Amino acid sequence: MMQDRYADPQTTNWPDLVNPMEYTNPTTVDESVYDDDVVRMFFGATVIWGVVGMLVGVTIALQLAWWPANLGLPWTTFGRLRPLHTNAVIFAFAGNICFTGIYYSMQRLLKTRMWSDRLSRIHFWGWQAIIVAAAITLPLGLTQSKEYAELIWPIDIAIVVIWVIFAVNFFGTLATRKVKHIYVAIWFYISFVITIAVLHVVNSLAIPATLFRSYPVYSGMTDALVQWWYGHNAVGFFLTTPFLGLMYYFLPRAAERPVYSYRLSIVHFWSLVFLYIWTGPHHLLYSGLPDWAQTLGVVFSVMLLAPSWGGMLNGLLTLRGAWHRVRTDPVLKFFVVAVSFYGMSTFEGPMMAIRAVNSLAHFTNWVIGHVHSGALGWVGMMTFGTLYWLVPRLWKRELVYPNMATTHFWLATIGIVLYTVSMWAAGLIEGLMWRAVNERGLLASPAFMDIADRLDPFYGLRLLGGLLYFIGAVMMAWNIYRTVAASRAGAPTPSAATAAS
Amino acid sequence: MKQKVERDQILGHEDEADGIKEYDNPLPDWWLGLFWITVIWGVAYLVHYHFIAHRSPEAALAQELADAEIRWATPEAAEAEAELVLSAEAVAEGEGIFRTYCVACHGANMMGGIGPNLLDDEWLHGGTSENIVKTITDGVPAMGMVPWGPVLGAEQVNRVAAYVVSKNAEALGRDPSDALRPSEGS
Repeated sequence: MMQDRYADPQTTNWPDLVNPMEYTNPTTVDESVYDDDVVRMFFGATVIWGVVGMLVGVTIALQLAWWPANLGLPWTTFGRLRPLHTNAVIFAFAGNICFTGIYYSMQRLLKTRMWSDRLSRIHFWGWQAIIVAAAITLPLGLTQSKEYAELIWPIDIAIVVIWVIFAVNFFGTLATRKVKHIYVAIWFYISFVITIAVLHVVNSLAIPATLFRSYPVYSGMTDALVQWWYGHNAVGFFLTTPFLGLMYYFLPRAAERPVYSYRLSIVHFWSLVFLYIWTGPHHLLYSGLPDWAQTLGVVFSVMLLAPSWGGMLNGLLTLRGAWHRVRTDPVLKFFVVAVSFYGMSTFEGPMMAIRAVNSLAHFTNWVIGHVHSGALGWVGMMTFGTLYWLVPRLWKRELVYPNMATTHFWLATIGIVLYTVSMWAAGLIEGLMWRAVNERGLLASPAFMDIADRLDPFYGLRLLGGLLYFIGAVMMAWNIYRTVAASRAGAPTPSAATAAS
Repeated sequence: MKQKVERDQILGHEDEADGIKEYDNPLPDWWLGLFWITVIWGVAYLVHYHFIAHRSPEAALAQELADAEIRWATPEAAEAEAELVLSAEAVAEGEGIFRTYCVACHGANMMGGIGPNLLDDEWLHGGTSENIVKTITDGVPAMGMVPWGPVLGAEQVNRVAAYVVSKNAEALGRDPSDALRPSEGS
């Protein structure tokens, strides 16, 4: 039954069942001026690293639920695979989709080819080489032990070099643009390119001792503050602003509706980038950080709520008049859930930054749930929607299995819900058990294992959620692989024939 | 001077945005209200926390400790009850406590592991019941043993000490009540 539905274009609800020629945008004179090869390269890297990064994630989720899965080998233990997972999904998966979307959209928004094809390719291969270097060094235990900045100094320098090459190409393209107006998506991209460079350089400053080891120039509390200034703004400027840029380009293109409010986009852009950069200290509440700095972290985090929601509102309100298509178009489905999770986790974040809530939530699984509602919900779903939207435009071929994209959507959505709900429950349970006292004022659960045992079922549930999400991503990879193969083999799009008749 | 705002007016620079049209709709009132509320809250919280209530983590900790002192002051009677008895019930209760908190370091068979063997005649910190209770209560931080007194309370420390004393005596073929005598040749 399922197979038949996949095969029959009449019953598929895939949108834009039109001649692939019509994908060329009417406002563009000639699409051939654009460099789409590099877009296809970053596209492929996104899919491959996404599957790899999520596989490592599922593996370490299994290790927490069932310890023998660490295999008893130093290279495969949780402590080494966890940074591999975070680096792979943030810098490889999310990074590559940002570059995919930026290279695709900025050429079209600025009506010009990328400034230098050569720099585009150095950027692509350099970035992939950095990822491979990370995938080798982290399991070997080579790390500078800063969260999300684990990579050792030679790789840090390579990141700077490649990032500067990307920035030169980016601003070169901006300088040679054929339009006067700079569309909102580009502002968000600019904040990504500039801020990540500053964050990475400042946080990674270190004095090399050997080829693999170095000493940070900061020590103690200063080091912690610089680290979380970096860490939280990696969330802000690697996982938020470039994705808002993608949202501002791909969501109105997919919905074929005007952006709700230009004014709102200006106000929420400037308030977002201004407020975000101060929020890092909320990771250091109740630490040795001076009180006033902790308070700044709390206050700026709470003030960040409305600017974040401005992005969500502009996304959701742009869909006015297109909601009926959300029912049938998997791309819009992915975008709606992505933007909704963005709103949910940017509400949760400011709440968790309040001192009273933080004292309960800090160090618990609640934090893991929070970051994954952002990562799986916002970043992941934005990525999937963008990839599915791009396939027929980059390969001039409809998806081979259009309904499989809808199945992917449901698997991913159910997976996120299982993941976040189980981690909320686990986090609240351990947070409350840590502080619970008996009638004599003594700790009610002084034994670590008493609390760890209670988390087992939730670790199992989280594994299930992550597994569903991963299976969806594998289905997407297969679907895209088959579609690209069919496109290269020259097989006609079934829907094109239908539309033409 | 509230102006009538035109809704859903196209700005008209879609030619410069790959065909993406933009409305110039006003900011939603509730959104702007939310923004101002968080800003006002932020300033008010900062001023209140630091300059009016003079709060700080240190002050919060002192307050919590003072509250705890009042709420959980140990009655004299409870302190007195906490003494080492070698009754079967006490030893059985001690075994449960040992299984929960002690096995991780001293081993399920009490022969040691991370921590030392408890079934031999070697007592690093004294082998009388008094010494054993003190070792459990205060821990041996230099060797990685945490103070269990604040965690278990005097009564449970005595129960687990009773278990250790009786198992040790059993292993060495001695009378457990020997250990209850004040230290002489330990």
